[in-house]
Amino acid sequence: MGGTELLQFVLAGLKNGSIYALVALGFTLIYAATGVINFAQGEFYMLGGMLSVWAYADLGLPLPLAGLVGVMATAAVGGVFELGAIRQRKDGDPLALIVITVGGSMVLSSMARHLFGPNERPLPLFSGGGSVSVFGAVLEVQTIWILGLTALAVVGLWYLYNRTGLGRAMRACAVNRDAARIVGIDTRLMVTVSFLLAAALGALAGLAVTPLTQTAFDVGPTVGIKGFAAAILGGLGNPIAAVVGGLVLGMLESVSIAFISSTYKDAIALIVLLGVLFVRPQGILGRSRREKV
Amino acid sequence: MRRVMLGVLLTGALFAMSLGGCAGEPDEGGEAAGDTYRIGAVLSLSGPQAGLGEPERRAIEMEVERINEEGGVHGRPVEVLFEDDATDEAKAVTAASRLIEQEGVIALIAASGTGQTMAVRQEVERAGIPQMSLAGGSVVTAQFSEWVFQTPWPNRIVVPFTLGYLRDSGVTRLGLLIDSGAYGKDGYDVIMAEVDRFGIEIVADEQFNRGDTDMTPQITKIRAAGPDALLMWAAGAEAATVLKNNAALGGDSPLSVYGGPGNGRIELIQGAGDAAEGFTFSAGKILVPEAYGVGSDEYEVTTSFIDRFTERFGVGPDIFAGHAYDGIYLIVDAMKRLPEGFTPEDLRDEIERTDGFIGAGGTFTFGPTDHNGLSEDDLTMYRIENGEWVLVGQAR
Repeated sequence: MGGTELLQFVLAGLKNGSIYALVALGFTLIYAATGVINFAQGEFYMLGGMLSVWAYADLGLPLPLAGLVGVMATAAVGGVFELGAIRQRKDGDPLALIVITVGGSMVLSSMARHLFGPNERPLPLFSGGGSVSVFGAVLEVQTIWILGLTALAVVGLWYLYNRTGLGRAMRACAVNRDAARIVGIDTRLMVTVSFLLAAALGALAGLAVTPLTQTAFDVGPTVGIKGFAAAILGGLGNPIAAVVGGLVLGMLESVSIAFISSTYKDAIALIVLLGVLFVRPQGILGRSRREKV
Repeated sequence: MRRVMLGVLLTGALFAMSLGGCAGEPDEGGEAAGDTYRIGAVLSLSGPQAGLGEPERRAIEMEVERINEEGGVHGRPVEVLFEDDATDEAKAVTAASRLIEQEGVIALIAASGTGQTMAVRQEVERAGIPQMSLAGGSVVTAQFSEWVFQTPWPNRIVVPFTLGYLRDSGVTRLGLLIDSGAYGKDGYDVIMAEVDRFGIEIVADEQFNRGDTDMTPQITKIRAAGPDALLMWAAGAEAATVLKNNAALGGDSPLSVYGGPGNGRIELIQGAGDAAEGFTFSAGKILVPEAYGVGSDEYEVTTSFIDRFTERFGVGPDIFAGHAYDGIYLIVDAMKRLPEGFTPEDLRDEIERTDGFIGAGGTFTFGPTDHNGLSEDDLTMYRIENGEWVLVGQAR
């Protein structure tokens, strides 16, 4: 296998990896705020693409505006979902909340099926077709968009967490909810904000990928599982870990195809995931629970 | 209080949406009228195969109305009872047994997918009524049941036809890219069993899963093996991604990509755009009825169906609508040939005696060991040029 081909596999791994990373970030944000895995995260990915297609094709908005509408509307859906379903469960029992998110994902995909039809729908490439050559390997322009948007999201999150009052409040909630409440942080608001953000991140991933893959009402669960695996692999609750987990998972799949077989790529990726968790149950970058106590 | 109000509002909104979505559905069930012929239809109206089930339901609904306007069968109306299997085998079985036990249907159109089709077989055999499958898996008629008929072109006919075309195009080294789902697996098994006969060598053999967002690693690996062409066997939305990835990787020299009937969908052209140009695939003649020869009986039947469907629904029928058209008419046609008071077993025997029935998918001639009734003559090759299907004719 030549160096060019190897580089091509690396680029493919980075591309898929950054998609998984964006979805994993959503899992991690909500986990940090609530201690719950949000199984509707994949549906936010679906809605981001679907609502952008709707704004672009059905409302006739220009593409940048349609993308903005798609992401904002999905964020709003995330917020409404939290207010209407998650918050109604007053005791915050994690098991009950997880079941609510599973139900929420079914409701969202059925609604998308009824409103937007059963078939896949396309979205044009952000800046036309074409690709650039990187040492002989091919990098699609849309892939540069995906990588760029992921980088932007990570920088934005870092800024939010480290440089704003809201971000510090969210971090405080993640570390210790009761203590945060005692110092006057509205912990409920922080949960709503994390759902808004998680939905927006998922939607951003869906929006960036749809020009390459089209979207349909049923694309959520597959990507959701991958994002979940990435979040676990990196270490739940830590945004940088989610990105690392996503990129590692994307690379694993790509390398499995290159050197073993595409038939078993998902199986190989999951076996490695299990192996990592066996050695480091808290994930690659996760802090072990004992430290917290 | 505000929170309660919000909950109520949200529930109300969800309810309204689900109602809105259901408003167009046909009236299911209905009162048992002693003098109607009842046929059951188990289709995938939701779930991953909803894109198949929906056009199938439309075609059946439209044609049953037409049959009844023309006087039904023996002066009695035909009623089709629809059930949604949600692309789920267990739900398909429940739906089939409900239609058989409670509604007393005399025949069953089932199902959209190969998995569901196989799952309801036990119900059909127990009840002793004919089943008309709209699924393309070879297994449907290869695992023979005297009760089960199949309207689409199965892979065991389409694959040799496609390989023959590849051979005649000078392809000797072939790369495979297969959807890991039931349809792709079924095609893959036939490809591997037949390929030697055509003097073609498989130099690369890769798969992708439903929902995969990027196939560049697979195509990179296939390109490295140096094939003359790439054969893709897939029915889902991922086919467009394959074409796009291949175009991007290829630059000035992309691999020529070939495919099968699962790619005869307008969504593929819309999704892949310029990357779809030059893509060549085998399918029945319904996509461009001129393939039957203008003025031929097949041409008249197919164009009449296409015109009526397009007028009513605002979109043209796809191949799945065509399979449903053939399914309902193969049953009704056999019913008309029988005298009044026939049993489901008589109906099965009569469907099996179908000889030269002209449908949208081709000319059907069933026999005691052939419950698909189609041949390679019912297939043709298409190429996508300027965003449209263009005939490239028979290979042999």
